[in-house]
Amino acid sequence: MGNDIQRRDFFKVLAATGAATAAVAGCADPPEKLIPYLVPPTNIEFVPGHPVEYATTCMECPAACGMVVKTREGRAIKAEGNPDHPGNAGALCVRGQASLQTLYNPARLASALVREGTTWKAVPWTQAETTLAERIRGLSDRRQLVYLTGNGAGTRGRFLDAWLAALGGAPKLVFEPLGQQNIKAANDQSFRRPEIPQYRIEQATFLLNFGSDFLETWLNPVRQARAFAAMHAIDDAKRSKGRFVHVGPHVSLTGANADQWVAIRPGSERILALALAREVLQRRGKSVSPPEAARLREYLAPYTLESAQDATGVAKDRIAQLAREFAGARSSLALAGGTLAASEAGTATQVAVNLLNHVAGNLGKTVHFGEAQQIDHGAPFSEVLALVKRMQAGAVQLLIVDGANPLHALPATAGFADALAKVPTVVSLSPAWDETTSKAHLVLPGLTFLESWGDAFPQKGVNALVQPVMAPVYPLKSVEDTLLAVARAAGATQFEKTATYYDYLRAAWAGVQKEVGNREAFDVFWRKALQAGGVFQQVSASGAVRLDLRVLAEPAPRGKLAGTGLVLLPTASLRHHDGRGARNPWLQEIPDPISQVVWDSWADIHPTTAKRLGIAHGQAIRVKSPYGEVETAAYLHYGVHEDAIAIPLGQGRTDSGRDADQRGVNVMTLLPAVHDPASGQFAFVTTRVSVEPLPHQAFLVQTDGSPRQLGRGIIQQMSLEQVAKGEAPAAGHGGEVAAAAAGAAGQSAAGTVHARAASFYPPRERTPGYHDPYRWGMSVDGDRCTGCSACVAACYAENNIPVVGKERVGLGREMSWLRIERFIEGRGEEYQTLLQPMFCQQCSNAGCEPVCPVYATYHNPEGLNAQVYNRCVGTRYCSNNCAYKVRRFNWFNYEFKSPLHLQLNPDVTVRSKGVMEKCTFCVQRIQHARLKADGEGRPIKDGEVQPACVQTCPTRALTFGNLADPASEVSRKSMRGEEARQKRVRQYEVLEELANLPAVTYQRRVRVTTEQEA
Amino acid sequence: MTAIRYADVNADVLRTLVRPKPAYYLLVIGFASALMLGALSLAIQIDVGLGLSGISHPVGWGVYITNFVFWIGIGHAGTLISAVFFLTRAPWRAPVYRAAEAMTVFAVMTAGLFPLIHVGRIWYAYWLIPYPNQRLLWVNFKSPLLWDVFAVTTYLTISITFFVIGLVPDIAAMRDNAKGLRKLIYTSLALGWNNSYQQWLHYARGYLLLAALATPLVFSVHSIVSWDFAMSLIPGWHTTIFAPYFVAGAIFSGLAMVLTIVIPMRAVFGMEKYVTPHVMQSMAKTILFTSIIVGYAYATEFFIAWYSGNPFERGIFYFRPFGEIGDLDPIAGKGQFNFAQWSFWTMVFCNVISPLPLWRYKIRTNVWALFLISILINIGMWFERFNIVVSSLQRDFNPANWGSYAFTIVEWGITIGSFGFFFTLFVLFARAMPIMALAEVKEGLEAPRRHPAQHH
Repeated sequence: MGNDIQRRDFFKVLAATGAATAAVAGCADPPEKLIPYLVPPTNIEFVPGHPVEYATTCMECPAACGMVVKTREGRAIKAEGNPDHPGNAGALCVRGQASLQTLYNPARLASALVREGTTWKAVPWTQAETTLAERIRGLSDRRQLVYLTGNGAGTRGRFLDAWLAALGGAPKLVFEPLGQQNIKAANDQSFRRPEIPQYRIEQATFLLNFGSDFLETWLNPVRQARAFAAMHAIDDAKRSKGRFVHVGPHVSLTGANADQWVAIRPGSERILALALAREVLQRRGKSVSPPEAARLREYLAPYTLESAQDATGVAKDRIAQLAREFAGARSSLALAGGTLAASEAGTATQVAVNLLNHVAGNLGKTVHFGEAQQIDHGAPFSEVLALVKRMQAGAVQLLIVDGANPLHALPATAGFADALAKVPTVVSLSPAWDETTSKAHLVLPGLTFLESWGDAFPQKGVNALVQPVMAPVYPLKSVEDTLLAVARAAGATQFEKTATYYDYLRAAWAGVQKEVGNREAFDVFWRKALQAGGVFQQVSASGAVRLDLRVLAEPAPRGKLAGTGLVLLPTASLRHHDGRGARNPWLQEIPDPISQVVWDSWADIHPTTAKRLGIAHGQAIRVKSPYGEVETAAYLHYGVHEDAIAIPLGQGRTDSGRDADQRGVNVMTLLPAVHDPASGQFAFVTTRVSVEPLPHQAFLVQTDGSPRQLGRGIIQQMSLEQVAKGEAPAAGHGGEVAAAAAGAAGQSAAGTVHARAASFYPPRERTPGYHDPYRWGMSVDGDRCTGCSACVAACYAENNIPVVGKERVGLGREMSWLRIERFIEGRGEEYQTLLQPMFCQQCSNAGCEPVCPVYATYHNPEGLNAQVYNRCVGTRYCSNNCAYKVRRFNWFNYEFKSPLHLQLNPDVTVRSKGVMEKCTFCVQRIQHARLKADGEGRPIKDGEVQPACVQTCPTRALTFGNLADPASEVSRKSMRGEEARQKRVRQYEVLEELANLPAVTYQRRVRVTTEQEA
Repeated sequence: MTAIRYADVNADVLRTLVRPKPAYYLLVIGFASALMLGALSLAIQIDVGLGLSGISHPVGWGVYITNFVFWIGIGHAGTLISAVFFLTRAPWRAPVYRAAEAMTVFAVMTAGLFPLIHVGRIWYAYWLIPYPNQRLLWVNFKSPLLWDVFAVTTYLTISITFFVIGLVPDIAAMRDNAKGLRKLIYTSLALGWNNSYQQWLHYARGYLLLAALATPLVFSVHSIVSWDFAMSLIPGWHTTIFAPYFVAGAIFSGLAMVLTIVIPMRAVFGMEKYVTPHVMQSMAKTILFTSIIVGYAYATEFFIAWYSGNPFERGIFYFRPFGEIGDLDPIAGKGQFNFAQWSFWTMVFCNVISPLPLWRYKIRTNVWALFLISILINIGMWFERFNIVVSSLQRDFNPANWGSYAFTIVEWGITIGSFGFFFTLFVLFARAMPIMALAEVKEGLEAPRRHPAQHH
């Protein structure tokens, strides 16, 4: 496997990469021949050097965001959000950006494989299909055919049902480790609506979140991030913003964006929600009818502030304060979800939050039914366990696994490994190597979503299409087409009219056409839908639901955490989700924004607890539960309850390719196979673990130099009162707590940072030809940035940035041009995490430019610090003299392991060893826009150029444009000059006192420190 | 001293040039092996990439630049002794200046290798030279690195010229005694020197002029090298004090290196007659003087960092001696006292404390003590440069960038190789050329006259 691309394809690619490879060739590499297209393909309007974009839908997680994939010369080079898609509106998350590495993953399988003893033999595709068909035909009882899939969305789900029906197999089982059954079950109990409602975060002024990671993996993170920004980012005109309180035992990226964190005993969210509901009901029960209120009062009576204080560990004053705010807010919303709300009492917690939303009158307003989010198709964990039992009993003769990896994602105690060994034939249709596939007998690798047809309906009114954006990387068939061929070979007659899955999909979309009320010819409708990425409609629904009081009669849940030790909190990973992203090198190399850890797992422990246990930061620890043990690194984190330890999911692979294997630990090995009886959803928070320090330091690699900014004002913030008064913070801004720490070294906060003095030299813009008509600049709104790191992945993808691996990142040699800087302010529960993107500031008075002896870096007339790779000798003086340290040096010739190299952007040089590189605001995109504008005889329009980072930002924290044009959006956001400086209180430049005159301005984060008038 | 005659000088010096003992060959082989180790390390580094060194982000310069500044510093004593002390008529320079000058030339040659070794693409290093080319590319005269190119090449040129001119009368003396092939070589190198009055007249004038020309270079070269740092923004580098501080440091380290070389040479070649206690204590006094300047410069840096109130300056000058600023609390959990702090205190001990015994005459004239102190100063001055180059980069403006530096086996190899290069050249020279300036030593002696005591 690996490199067998067809010769013809190879030449096509070679032609495209010609320019890039020639530039790379440098001195050491042998010359390569350029072979141009002799006969260009005729089925598309092909102009060499011009990208062709295809709209499709991201299948990296069930949220199904719209995607536009840019292809060059027949290969996908960049994934971007589809701006027309109502869910993500043009943005993508870090995993969506990295989906190209799912496509080009080195762990992908290139041919059909048959196991022979302990080795694998490649077999012709048709032979593998015949083998599978024969096995199906040979089943004595067709019900012993089981299909386990990771994707049952949309038409695909129905197709699989039809296929299994045709062959007489058991119903399909959709395996989704991070399911949402608790929400559905709770809504069924509460409102008789077993669905996931639409949470209208954007309409809330007070958001109370019970543990969900809604900015990371839960439900639809990109959409929610956008909604969160609409709710939480400051309105500069009105000078107001919403307030967000995070309640939970752990702070990850979502919690870090909260104005306040309420550390709560793990598993006690339900009690707090009920106590809040009780308080809110007393204050504001208007939306509740009197008899209902009486019934609720009776039900909530035991949940007093005192009892809640005892159960949750949250001071009752604080609970009362939360209740006051929740009841008093103009529009409030309580959320619960994610792994940390999924205990054995997970459904009951959701019911409690439903009651809270109900008494506050949020149903039908911020919690909206009727446009249900259909993004969860997974079977409950209880059904998976039932399958395991059947397998163990020998009642499964043929198991087909497709895109699911239960061997890694199930707790070891579920017994899947043993059960799998009892299945005589295991067939894997997964496109890449993983733990479960490695135990299969027959592998017919499928295609990734970027190479196949499909669809998804993530919510009512959103009918999204998945289309292949390029020819398959390897000459394989999509899973559906394989299944069709197998069905035919197995003698099923149902699919005689369906030559390919494409036909099946089209037939299904004829139904969609009817549903959306489109009357055009189908081909026209189909083509338009493909171009747009689907059919998107506004659905108006009343959204009103009524509380079914029978829910109050539900038995009180179990959910006492037995045993001794710290409560284990398995957290979903921003980068790896449940583990499906672990194989993509970008997702390993891009640090987790909160811990700044790369290529690894870690265990968040509270410093107080760590001290008690005698554990230092970075020390190796052994975490032992009754079900298993792992060895990982201790990470001292204020954002975890003192009685808990948090380990992210998804790592600890053993057989998923070199980029994932042996990285970190699989936290699932510590968990029992327990689920919430009310919903069947897997219970993550069930176990206490003992933590034992080991005598050595773990090899934990973090990219942050220092957790504290020591009053240096790198990431600045101000209070809402300051914004309201229109006064900028005094010198020494930002790190009030850090300044105190700095005081230990004799530093005073006052006088730290001086306003920049008038310059001796005339400004650049007075140099003839400079900054006219363009000066490119950016504005970064710190109050909108959540630190989600999507921009970082976008930068890797757009600019051919190599991945260097854990050891080299440990030396500080990561190549990212754009990083999320993270600083910690304060201590204990009141601590804060500050996050901010940092990249080349394109200074007018740059440190890097004058020191380069050969003009390899210079100030271009449009205000960019251009970097001429071919001229660079590699003295690294520029990097030394850069106050922001945003330049990266090529220490080696980095490898883009095949077939990852096919993703390389031909517009961007691949840099060779010994050369400095850096961000230039995606100068290739500026150049593209310029060519287009020049061709049309006009200047570049505002917004026409969007660097990769700006394009993908879910919260629109980044604005790029022409600073020389006072009407441009970026000019309006980042005013220049003294007058503007006074007007725009949130504006600052990082390290302004150095007079580097950056073209990037930052807007301060605004902190809502106290209760806010609603 | 009265017993020394011109003939003795000739005999004593030329004795060093006869067929050497086996120990000499061992010495040459040892140094040449070190040189080969360096060459091998460099070859591997060029092939694989600079990543083999410990240099990283944010520490873009490491041991290579440290070595560069160190060797340039060593190269200062030669010109100081031969040119400045010639102009100031310090008679004790005569017996040691040839060795010092040879040391200068070889040290500058060694230093000159390091900017090449440390660049990412050594095969394009010639782009730093402004030469006319079809592509109309030019160099950036604003860059201190370019100033370096000129400063170092100029210094090397003048040093070699001065060195070679000083050698001419001595080579002539050797030519007169040599036979065979040696005779041929020395004859051509002696440039037809015949010891005539006319020649001496012009020679003295020329030498004086060259000395005057070389003198400013003593101060300019290291000033310019210091501006590599001082012209940058980095706290710990961006200091106006750097030029005089570096020059003093250079003289300090150069004289220490002269002692390190001359003391064993004196014993091996039996030149105690010439390199007298007076000569050595004169050098020791200069060392003590420059040590005080260097110590004062250290203190000034700290005072200014405190006095400025600049948090970045304060940050780096707190970091160097004590480690992380304040209590970074459990989340940081990194070691407080690391190599950077060890290197700082090594520097202070070696450069400020260890020369203090030189206040005593007994120590100044004790060969063993001088040798020990000279070695300590060499170590200390290497660490001074290491400290400046590396620790400043470790802790610059933005704490999110902070990093560390640990040198690797390749850097060790190349560093050892540089010592091998230097000493190989030096020991070869010591056997090929008079290690003491015959003519100048003779100038300090009473002229051999049949009838003594007639002064003109």
